Amino acid sequence: MKILVDNTPIECQEGELLIDVLINNGVEIPHFCYQQDLGMDGNCRMCMVEIKGQKRPQIACDTFVCENLEVSTKSEKINEVKRSILELELLNHPVDCPICDQAGECKLQDYYMDYGLYESHLCTPKTKKGKHIDLGSNVMLDQERCVLCMRCVRFTSNITKTGELGVIGRGDKAKIAVAPNHPLNNSYAMNVVELCPVGALTSKDFRFQQRVWFLDSAKSICHGCSRGCNIFIDYNETKYTDEKVYRFRARRNKEINLSFLCDFGRLSYKELNEKFTSSTWHVETFKEYLKIEKKVALASPSLSLQQLQAIKEFCEKNSIALYSLPYVDESFGDDWLKINDRSANFAGVKELLISTCQNDFENSLKDANLIINFDHNLLKSHMPENKQLLHFSTSKCDYGTVYAIANFAHENGTLINCDGIRQEYYATKYRCETPRLVELLEELK
Amino acid sequence: MQTKIVSKNFEIPHANSLEVALKNGRYTSLEKLFTYQPQEVIDIIKTSNLRGKGGGGAPAGAKWQLASDFEGKKYLVVNADESEPGTFKDRQIISKDPHLLIEGIICTCYAIGANSSYIYVRGEYEEFSDILQIAIDEAYAKNILGDEAKYPVEITIHRGAGAYICGEKSALLESLEGNRGHPRLKPKSPEPEFYFGEPTLVNNVETIASVPFIIENGAEAYTAYGTDCSSGTLLFAISGHVEKAGVYEAEFGVGMWDYIQKLGGGVKNGKKLKAVIPGGASTPILPAHLVMEAKLDYENLKSLGSALGTGGMIVLDEDVSMVKALKNLLRFYHHESCGQCTPCREGTSWVDKTLDKFINKTATLQDLEVLKSVSKSMNGQTICVFAPAASGVIDGFLKHFESEFLECIV
Repeated sequence: MKILVDNTPIECQEGELLIDVLINNGVEIPHFCYQQDLGMDGNCRMCMVEIKGQKRPQIACDTFVCENLEVSTKSEKINEVKRSILELELLNHPVDCPICDQAGECKLQDYYMDYGLYESHLCTPKTKKGKHIDLGSNVMLDQERCVLCMRCVRFTSNITKTGELGVIGRGDKAKIAVAPNHPLNNSYAMNVVELCPVGALTSKDFRFQQRVWFLDSAKSICHGCSRGCNIFIDYNETKYTDEKVYRFRARRNKEINLSFLCDFGRLSYKELNEKFTSSTWHVETFKEYLKIEKKVALASPSLSLQQLQAIKEFCEKNSIALYSLPYVDESFGDDWLKINDRSANFAGVKELLISTCQNDFENSLKDANLIINFDHNLLKSHMPENKQLLHFSTSKCDYGTVYAIANFAHENGTLINCDGIRQEYYATKYRCETPRLVELLEELK
Repeated sequence: MQTKIVSKNFEIPHANSLEVALKNGRYTSLEKLFTYQPQEVIDIIKTSNLRGKGGGGAPAGAKWQLASDFEGKKYLVVNADESEPGTFKDRQIISKDPHLLIEGIICTCYAIGANSSYIYVRGEYEEFSDILQIAIDEAYAKNILGDEAKYPVEITIHRGAGAYICGEKSALLESLEGNRGHPRLKPKSPEPEFYFGEPTLVNNVETIASVPFIIENGAEAYTAYGTDCSSGTLLFAISGHVEKAGVYEAEFGVGMWDYIQKLGGGVKNGKKLKAVIPGGASTPILPAHLVMEAKLDYENLKSLGSALGTGGMIVLDEDVSMVKALKNLLRFYHHESCGQCTPCREGTSWVDKTLDKFINKTATLQDLEVLKSVSKSMNGQTICVFAPAASGVIDGFLKHFESEFLECIV
């Protein structure tokens, strides 16, 4: 089926929402309240389009496509409508962009530049509402910046079903709020910050840390559990400091995490910024170690397929018994995104036929004189007695010799998630101080 | 001039008690009702051309048919959230002849195949809701309602929490479901309302109260009153600067000025008429010269650029400042906007605040432009008709009385 959008034919399916068709085909359609994974609400009135045969402009989020639909999104009349709605949205807005954390990724700013650019007609006092309200779970609310799109309310009532957020008051006094003594408290709470199209909800963790226009984004995969939620790593590097990761944002994937992330995963970016001491890498020294008889290796199940493949080849060549054990945490999982299996690539371990038998590993460990740990957490804080312990690690280890390797922010790789979905992740674009594991193993050949 | 169909028993003392009500012809229509098939009842209502009396004036029969066409559980919800300024007719029915409403509910439930009904009573109507509850209890005791009745019907009263918007039928249902009273998006094709996902008919108190007369006397007896398109009668309410404010039932199509003079007793203290707001605050104002030619029916008032609405007339005499009158109305809209859609939430507050400048005589020409442009932005761009109503009110005042606003400009 085809519809005409601004005189261009667009292919679509009968019964799809017009706004989805427009978004998926890259047609600019301003909107606040519609979000692809929260559905329509129809309250912001920003996605107005002209439809042939209809007397009045219609909202695209409440229009289903049908045969011979002719839509205009750019006509003079419709731009005037958008301008008038935007003027009303901004009417009681404090316009404090210079001190607002959302600046640079704010829909109000973007749309004002696209459709607004009017002179203010406001000559009455603005409505005053609450500022810097701590809702709990790292979420801060500024009621004056809010456009009442209700995305956050719909998220807590329809998605997490915890219902902490609601609207109180009517008319221009309507505001988002939590009930007294019932703060925002669920393990997905920080999604509301990302869902908020304006600066009303900001993250306590990220606010005032960095201007978003100084950030770059890398497409990656969360390594917090085996769900494999798609993320953006937002990072930057200034002249005199190393690259720093500032936050994870959800990257939409309809099959896996929609547009959401758990708070644990979202805050796990901090591990990527950790600094720790490392031994200097000498190929010859390491080769000396390899002369020791009876060696065992343990590989982290969160390493990428490429890394695991290289480790496997290395171990086979040097006759090292290789194992990988999953990270299982019975208290972690829930009925949505979080999964008890905390290894990002355990399915990949199995695909490469690496032994995952705990007993065999423990038996080999008893006999072994040299243990090589490829970033597995088990051996980082645990020292087997009378053994030589070598680590290739992305984080601090309490015992043994440590060779720092690049963490997943600096790696390209492939992971297989709990449902067998194979996904790529990509490195940030800056130079990495620490060497990549695959390159080290290459040198040993 | 009065035609008493719904208000027949209003003057009878204690007509709210079952004993008196039964003596005065209540529940007599039920005998005849049960001789009809439900679909026949709907057809009678269609032939009678009964129109919704809550303000919209949509044909009731068509709405009943939509609900009736669904299989399975159904509900009737009676809208008694009467909060339109200038309108006070439903409370007369509830307090003076509650058994008429109950009788109408039984007829309607029978027609659409519902066994449960809710009466959503305006929160402030505590006293009237109590009277209604007593009447319902009496009806249960006499097995007119409940499982033992000939056609089982349950009635539950739900009192609102004081929001005007809950008179909008979909917001009313949201409120009844326990949610915040926000109007729902309108369906693209005709369909009934839904209460917890079940098809539901929502009708105004007076619409339901008109049903027993039609069942008992036939559709022709009803169409004998009124005009061709607006059949029957309406409980017109009259208030403001008149000698005898009150609710008087009259046929559709009577002259407005006639009505004001004969039933309302004319403009108070012999003053001249300036304007009339014809059907509750949400209808555009009519200046005196249009009042003279206006007839109280849907079509005539529409042709004059206004609407019949709920039929609650507010009469304004020559001393009224139109700027202050508009301010009064806009304060109401500012206060009652539910805050869901942007144009209404921000627009109603903006025009209200702007009007303060006219009151203080500090307004500029730009403020007048703001009134006009915001009124335009509020019209036709929202989920429900609250903002368009406010917009119509502003446009009406500016159309007929712009000179008074210009006088306030510095």
